[in-house]
Amino acid sequence: MLIFRNAPLHIVGLIVAAVGVAMGISGVVGLLYDGPDAVPLFISAAIAIALGLIANRLTARPGELTIRESYLTVTLAWLGAAVFGALPYWLADIAAPLDAFFESISGFTTTGASIFDNPESLSRGILFWRDLSQWLGGMGIIVLVVAVLPFLGVGGMQLFRAEVPGPTPDRLQPRISQTAKILWTVYVGLTAAQVVLFLLGGLSLFDAVTHAFGCMPTGGFSPRTASIGHFQSPYIQYVTILFMYLAGVNFALHYRVLKGRLGSPLRDEEWRFYTIVLGVALVIVSGANLVAGTYTDLEATFRASAFQVVSIGTTTGFATADYVTWPVVTQFILVSLMFVGGMAGSTGGGMKTLRLWAALKQGVVELRKHLHPRAVMLTRVGGRVVHEGVMLNILAFMLLFVASFILGVLLLAALGIDLVTAAGASAAAIGNIGPGLGGVGPTGHYAWLPGAAKLILAALMLLGRLEIYTVLVLLHPEFWRR
Amino acid sequence: MRILIVGAGAVGFHLAEHLSEEGHDIVLVDKDAERVAHAQDQLDIMTIVGNGASLSVLEQAGIEETDLLAAVTSVDEVNLIACMSAMQHDIKVKVARISNPEYFTEPFRLRNAQRGVDVMINPELECAREAFQLLQSEAATELAFFAGGRVQLLGLRVPPEAPLVGRSLAEVAGMMPDRRFLTAAISRNDETIIPRGDDRFQADDQVYIIGESTQMPRVLELAGYPEFRLRRVMIAGGGRTAVYLAQILEDHGIDCTIIEADRARCLQLAEQLKKTLILHGNATDMELLEMEGVEGIDGFVVFTGSDDTNMLASLLGKSQGVRKVVALINTIEYIPLVMRVGIDAAVSPRLSAVNTILRYVRRGSVLAVAALRGIDAEVIEFSVQPGCRIAGRTIEQIGFPKNSLVGAVIRGTEVIVPAGKLALAHGDKVAVLALPDAVSDVERLFQ
Repeated sequence: MLIFRNAPLHIVGLIVAAVGVAMGISGVVGLLYDGPDAVPLFISAAIAIALGLIANRLTARPGELTIRESYLTVTLAWLGAAVFGALPYWLADIAAPLDAFFESISGFTTTGASIFDNPESLSRGILFWRDLSQWLGGMGIIVLVVAVLPFLGVGGMQLFRAEVPGPTPDRLQPRISQTAKILWTVYVGLTAAQVVLFLLGGLSLFDAVTHAFGCMPTGGFSPRTASIGHFQSPYIQYVTILFMYLAGVNFALHYRVLKGRLGSPLRDEEWRFYTIVLGVALVIVSGANLVAGTYTDLEATFRASAFQVVSIGTTTGFATADYVTWPVVTQFILVSLMFVGGMAGSTGGGMKTLRLWAALKQGVVELRKHLHPRAVMLTRVGGRVVHEGVMLNILAFMLLFVASFILGVLLLAALGIDLVTAAGASAAAIGNIGPGLGGVGPTGHYAWLPGAAKLILAALMLLGRLEIYTVLVLLHPEFWRR
Repeated sequence: MRILIVGAGAVGFHLAEHLSEEGHDIVLVDKDAERVAHAQDQLDIMTIVGNGASLSVLEQAGIEETDLLAAVTSVDEVNLIACMSAMQHDIKVKVARISNPEYFTEPFRLRNAQRGVDVMINPELECAREAFQLLQSEAATELAFFAGGRVQLLGLRVPPEAPLVGRSLAEVAGMMPDRRFLTAAISRNDETIIPRGDDRFQADDQVYIIGESTQMPRVLELAGYPEFRLRRVMIAGGGRTAVYLAQILEDHGIDCTIIEADRARCLQLAEQLKKTLILHGNATDMELLEMEGVEGIDGFVVFTGSDDTNMLASLLGKSQGVRKVVALINTIEYIPLVMRVGIDAAVSPRLSAVNTILRYVRRGSVLAVAALRGIDAEVIEFSVQPGCRIAGRTIEQIGFPKNSLVGAVIRGTEVIVPAGKLALAHGDKVAVLALPDAVSDVERLFQ
């Protein structure tokens, strides 16, 4: 009589246990720095590992997942990770259950919206866990499982597709588990490189690792209250700008460059679009800041502008400046960038530059069709034709994305939140950015929002991270029909 | 020469017919008994029913005595395998017809010797190239190039208002003292003449001029054609030839539109061609043609699969004032007729294929061959090789056959308009126009 076998539970249990292991690692870090403050992490780890393994042991290993099972698995896995990942904040008695859940899902979805107004008051273990959860969520917990557990086989591809950002994930190797391994290897490699560069800039090991963990997944959690701005070092800021930019690039492209095909970014149309969008935004923002005299010298203007543009454009959400005090035009540019996001196949959020670029090209094609009503025209991205089905998927995605954003603003406003804050929070949540506008700007936090607002934002974060369809499909009545 | 042709389709049949009429021994192989029987009835050739890719069939067809193998079925793989099978025997030239661009453009990766093919011909590509050349000049009904493009044969129709109407060849020559071209043939009322100095040009003459390429603009001026630049081309019919032509046009930055009736094919075309505008509709749909501005285009090319449609659409295009209309005509017998009803030029993949193969069939030192379409004649480019009887003798002394004419002599970088007193030398390249009955005599001279 069951619509679904217990296959989803088998994998979700595994992922919850894996989250438990990650919390245990954070506990060890906490133990080294703060001693007994790490206890809540170990308790959480024990609960997650125990319950996860029980769920896993009581269910049979799935042979092949059906399409519906894979969507259910991915969504449940993310919810499960967020719920169990929230335990340390609650058990450490630093957050109410709902706040803890908000912080946790904000971490896993790489949003970086925080309820803590002063992270520096938290213990090191908790801070480490906050950034580790982002780092795991960045490349994807499912992708990690697929990489480690080749038994998923064919079903793995469905899970993979449901989690990896972008309309069609690139296959780098014939087997999906090999592809997942490559992506994770590149991810780990880039993170390590950033840690080394941070260390060379004089950061402590803890600061270097946590900030790299916040940067590569385009997350944005910083253990420092003033975020990257805490380090008054142009070097650290430039390194961060570079790695935020790299995190927004398709990881398949990183792989090709690392394999020696250095010219491949230049030949990649989406990469050019991504870079040009950021470049144009940078010119406008630094121009406006220069005219308004926000900063006294040119380099500082450029650096602060570049940092905010890349941070928001790649949906990271680190801050070195409070852009809420900047000229309005720059704020508008930054909010627009929230919707653009990183490249498909990157760790960035937003709608992804591939979708936007394809939709723009389709727009031009539609214009030309008005001139030639009988013409048969196709839209090409990177020389490859985007077929009608994929194009409709992209356009519907963009519509649903914007619709979710508007619904979010509406609901937040209905709770009595002012419009600017509501719009900023909704965009920052669905785009997985973190800081929004008004009351939730770079220097603000989310703790003061009503509980209902936190739930709405949490839902938007998950929608944004799993690219809408994966979550929304569960709400369709047909999904539950046998 | 003994020639083995694999494939009795349109190309194979026409090739067999052409070569057989020139006195070669032809064996034709095809697996379709009906086609073979048809060829047997029509032509004086030997035929075999069987798979031309199989060595035993080729042996049955006398592969060991064959001088040239032409595998021209419509299936690339069969043609390739036929040539590979024939590798065991010592055949001078193995020609394969290859239409798939992947096989055609990859010989650089797989050397011909490895696959046993000496020459690959792509009829559709050759035809598209020819159409492109024809499109570039408003007047040209036919075009052929010799000596690496330095010498050009230009066929054109003389309009009634042309400056040269009513003048004799000698008078026209007098108007241009530094002239380096001559009138090689005139076709008038179904009759082909090789003109002499006192013959006069008449309106609607189909004239063949051979000479230095750089002088052709002046020839066009004399013939009453104003300057012409190809900017926009419309192609009706989206077959393989159309795709090749569109690619060539795209490469030259010329605006190109294709009209195709089949929607699924339209999608394929849109996928293959990046800059070309693809329209879904019929070649003869006046409303569509007008909507897309047919009157503003420079060249209209009709490449549908049906000769009837092609002729009708071409006439429609001409009636809309398109300056240059080129039609694809598959039925070779129609071609002279097509030009007479006012369509500017006709091309045919079959003829293009045959032209390419002919070059390898010729005896002696043939460099290039162009079989003309408006008249039954060929222009052959020879080189004068050491030990050749005619070297050192004047054209008068050599005594070329009656129905032939020496059109141009290329000596080093110089193009010479031949006169009776000109002596030929080693290393000269000579372009000769010959009617069918004179071809073999001319060839013998150059042996």
